[in-house]
Amino acid sequence: MSRIGVFVCHCGENISRTVDVEQVAAKAALIPGVAYATDYKYMCSDPGQGLLKKAITEQKLSHIVVAACSPRMHELTFRKAVASAGLNPFLCEMANIREHCSWVHEDRTEATTKAIEIVTMMVERVKKNRTLDTITVPVTKRALVIGGGIAGIQAALDIADAGHQVVLVEREPSIGGHMAQLSETFPTLDCSQCIMTPKMVDVANHPNITMHTYSEIEQVDGYIGNFQVTVRKKARSVDEDKCTGCGICIEKCPIRKIPNSFDCNLGMRPAIYVPFPQAVPNTPVIDRENCTMFKTGKCGLCQKVCGPGAVDYQQQDQLVVEDVGAIVVATGFDLYNISEKPKGSPIKGYGEFGHGKIPDVIDGMTFERLASASGPTGGKILRPSDGKEPKQVVFIQCVGSRAREKGISYCSKICCMYTAKHTMLYKHKVHDGQAYVFFMDARVPGKSYDEFWRRAIEEEEAVYIRGMVSRLYQKGDKVVVMGSDIAVGVQAEIEADLVVLATAVQPRSGADRLAQKLGISYDNYQFYSEAHAKLRPVECATAGIYLAGACQGPKDIPDSVSQASAAAAKVMTLFAKDRLEREPIVAKINEAGCVGCFYCKKVCAYGAVEEKEIRDRQGNLIKIIAHINPGICAGCGTCQATCPSKSVELNGYTDEQIVAMIEAL
Amino acid sequence: MNQQISTTIYNDITDAVRKEAARILGDGTVTAVVGYTSTRRTGLTQPLVITDAKEADKLLFSETCVNNLAVYLTKAKKEIPKTGRIAIMVKGCDLKALVGLIGEAQLKREELYLIGLPCNGVLKSTTIPGTVLTVETIAPKCCECDVQTPVGCDFLPPCKPEQPELKAVYSAEIARLEAMSPRERWDYWQEQFSKCIKCYACRQVCPFCFCEQCLCDRNKPQMVETTPRPAGNFAWHIVRAMHLAGRCAGCAECERVCPMDIPLNLLNRKMAKELKELYDYEAGLEVNEKGPLASFNDKDDQSFIK
Amino acid sequence: MTANIENSFEPKIMAFVCTWCTYAGADLAGTSRMQYPANVRVLKFPCTGRIDPVFILKAFQQGADGVLISGCHPGDCHYIAGNFHARRRFAVFRKLLEFVGVDLNRLQFSWVSAAEGGKWVEVVTELTERIREMGPMTEFKELALTEQWSGMLESPELQEAYKQI
Repeated sequence: MSRIGVFVCHCGENISRTVDVEQVAAKAALIPGVAYATDYKYMCSDPGQGLLKKAITEQKLSHIVVAACSPRMHELTFRKAVASAGLNPFLCEMANIREHCSWVHEDRTEATTKAIEIVTMMVERVKKNRTLDTITVPVTKRALVIGGGIAGIQAALDIADAGHQVVLVEREPSIGGHMAQLSETFPTLDCSQCIMTPKMVDVANHPNITMHTYSEIEQVDGYIGNFQVTVRKKARSVDEDKCTGCGICIEKCPIRKIPNSFDCNLGMRPAIYVPFPQAVPNTPVIDRENCTMFKTGKCGLCQKVCGPGAVDYQQQDQLVVEDVGAIVVATGFDLYNISEKPKGSPIKGYGEFGHGKIPDVIDGMTFERLASASGPTGGKILRPSDGKEPKQVVFIQCVGSRAREKGISYCSKICCMYTAKHTMLYKHKVHDGQAYVFFMDARVPGKSYDEFWRRAIEEEEAVYIRGMVSRLYQKGDKVVVMGSDIAVGVQAEIEADLVVLATAVQPRSGADRLAQKLGISYDNYQFYSEAHAKLRPVECATAGIYLAGACQGPKDIPDSVSQASAAAAKVMTLFAKDRLEREPIVAKINEAGCVGCFYCKKVCAYGAVEEKEIRDRQGNLIKIIAHINPGICAGCGTCQATCPSKSVELNGYTDEQIVAMIEAL
Repeated sequence: MNQQISTTIYNDITDAVRKEAARILGDGTVTAVVGYTSTRRTGLTQPLVITDAKEADKLLFSETCVNNLAVYLTKAKKEIPKTGRIAIMVKGCDLKALVGLIGEAQLKREELYLIGLPCNGVLKSTTIPGTVLTVETIAPKCCECDVQTPVGCDFLPPCKPEQPELKAVYSAEIARLEAMSPRERWDYWQEQFSKCIKCYACRQVCPFCFCEQCLCDRNKPQMVETTPRPAGNFAWHIVRAMHLAGRCAGCAECERVCPMDIPLNLLNRKMAKELKELYDYEAGLEVNEKGPLASFNDKDDQSFIK
Repeated sequence: MTANIENSFEPKIMAFVCTWCTYAGADLAGTSRMQYPANVRVLKFPCTGRIDPVFILKAFQQGADGVLISGCHPGDCHYIAGNFHARRRFAVFRKLLEFVGVDLNRLQFSWVSAAEGGKWVEVVTELTERIREMGPMTEFKELALTEQWSGMLESPELQEAYKQI
């Protein structure tokens, strides 16, 4: 039989002014099951809590109801007090008679009646409360970082420097991401490779970091603190341990004219290649689709000239399972591809901008490769069509971005800055050239950003025309750009030698498939969703998975690095404990009742439902039912409302507790 | 005009099914065949499970094959699928139920051998054994059937079903009720539900009522009163209709077996209509990873939410 | 409920709300000292996804004259998608209730965020006043009383039986 204690708080005068607290306590004492009811001026104060603890011991109370403010205010306070008196904290409930009663009603009779009903409701509920204990799950103190761009590199270094093991998985043959493709970075114009390569080398040499390059995530199982990630190490056809990076194979390869995607297909590479000279690891990869040996079985030159005998045509993909406790997703971005209309994508192409048909219309990354000293033109700005130096270059901003009608309504954040940078790079290389920029706004809010942008106009003589471009077309060997100059109010037509489009930033291809493997959410552009837009920007709703860099939204380098360090900090917080504590408000399956329809699994947003086999003593399978992982379950209860037989119960919000409340009214 | 409906294809189907059943039992493709057979009473059929090829001639198909045999693979008959691959005779409506069960992890498609039955309709439940199949005596569910030839079966006799124009009974009745005022509807359903004697035959015969312990049999807490008083009956039928929403195949067995002639399938058809209108969903046409109530869309109707 | 001197009807409203949005919004209405009718009794759920349609039935059977269900705006659910499931579930359930003759004006759904104290007050007040106009929900009360073992307590058979005692 319950011995419930009811404590009605005056809250100074906040409650007692409108609610007759003594009457509430008196009425509560009459409810069957209530062994002790009293009122007190400030229940949350030290003496108030002392009163509570004393009553529990002296009156041998089994359950507690504190009628006071909102549980969102003090439920934790009272539960801690109750726990310190030796009673399970989940046997204590609060009745909200302040925010929901005394503060919102004036009539004393009405308010008191309502308060009595609220207390009665909570008394009936608490009778059905069961003891619950905090859940703990073990934590594997190893982290997985997916993506080896600047964000992934930063996160990996931070976590590794803190003393934890890190596994870094990168899809391309080398780490570095898009930052490795850049020539100079804003707002300081330092050489991108120069600042990045030391970090890349640090990653390669770090004792705590294991790199899997030319690898992809195959499968993710498990949950926070206990992930099992299967990594597919694709076959390079070169043994990483034997290769010395001498490069003879690359020199001798007879197939030399394969477009190099690192150079935005302007430059060429052989069939056995490293993507760029400073690649980390400096181990070549054989492009099996274009290699004569793999296509016809003839050649084998690279293997013949390889001193250490590292070339291995029989090499197969390898699957490696890594046990990790946390995952940082840093898969980065790609630019909107103007040369093809994406199949099945809601995002439309820019037919009016030549759709990739006009060779001298390029995107921002291609311009970076032209400007880069290690690029296909050795750092000279040359037209892709005839290799001549362009004297008039037109830059067009917001191609794809901020265009709801094309399917992308967001701003890509980095283009205003990199276009200004491009005009400066161009001017530094082609002193008699003229850069024109068609723009809508100048979004340059960062530190030193506005000064940088103004420098492009005031010192580097870039001409900024506020207006949009309606059409590009080839005229002879020039590209005619038809746009408007709305400041002056005329149509502006420029015959350009080269046109650079600042195309929209999008997540990498395959972002949705990776998200589905991880069990994280993404928005309709496939940027990964953070747990809370303002207060939790580096975590996912799925516990144990963190976000860093442009995969979460368009981002420049300083912000990517900041977010990567923030994600690393979150990982380190997780690893600071050996076991992870969780609130026991989780769902639990009644194994006798569950019939394995898995509706709970279909509606669980957290993937907390697993399959469990029920066998008899002889080992025969009786049924396969659901099982809820208490380490992942967030406690929403959608499973229980969906289950037809109610074979799943949310501890703390069971059907019994709720029906008790309804029936009390 | 009491137009007769042709039942000649049923004989062809019976022959084809018998041959097929003998074959698949004989060569071990399946360990049992669940089908229909004749009963002691003339003009009626009953379910049958055979495990020997020699028994194949007991099987038949006719307009009296009203049972939904899907219930012979779940619930109280769970030991049948455990013996191996099972063949089952399915009309279009029964197949919809099986499709739903597969989607809910109760059965596996590869463990079933579907013997499809092209169907001109079955008799309604209130007929005297030996009645001829006509537009008057055909079951109301058959008037709105769109699966006369079941799709996706492992064996389908090559017979073409035919039906004359039939009046859509359920749709008409739903429309009639929708046109009433709320109070009139309340009174209509009170009259219907007060007949209920809580025999739970509807639950026992429904393939989707496979819960090991039904919600209404729980008493901690008691969500649904078990007494056959109007209040308890109302709660039972509403809860069952809600639990079946998006799953009910429309086999109308519940209505057939109800000893008190309560129009149960009317409720289920109304829910199916709403699900079609709200979420463009029809149960039983393909195996769904998630039903309409286990999935959602950003653009779901929320005109009723303030 | 209060036994009013004027004997006018006081609606009994039960509200099923989610902790993270509507309950917080109601708290905000409290801290802002906004005033509204005292007829509503709030039941706290972790998420609207937890609310079973059976609870609505239970509430009406228990004598509620009106039921309010309120949660986070779509996209804001603390548990990511609970309110999306609730939205579908209740869209379907209310069609069922309407079909069996329950007046849907007694069942209100709303999205009230933690910042919308004012909206909470508005929703509760509007519902209370609407139900006050409509009067008590007699359908379920009548249903509960129908066919108690011998029907009427005043039937001739009972009167006869009483006489014999």
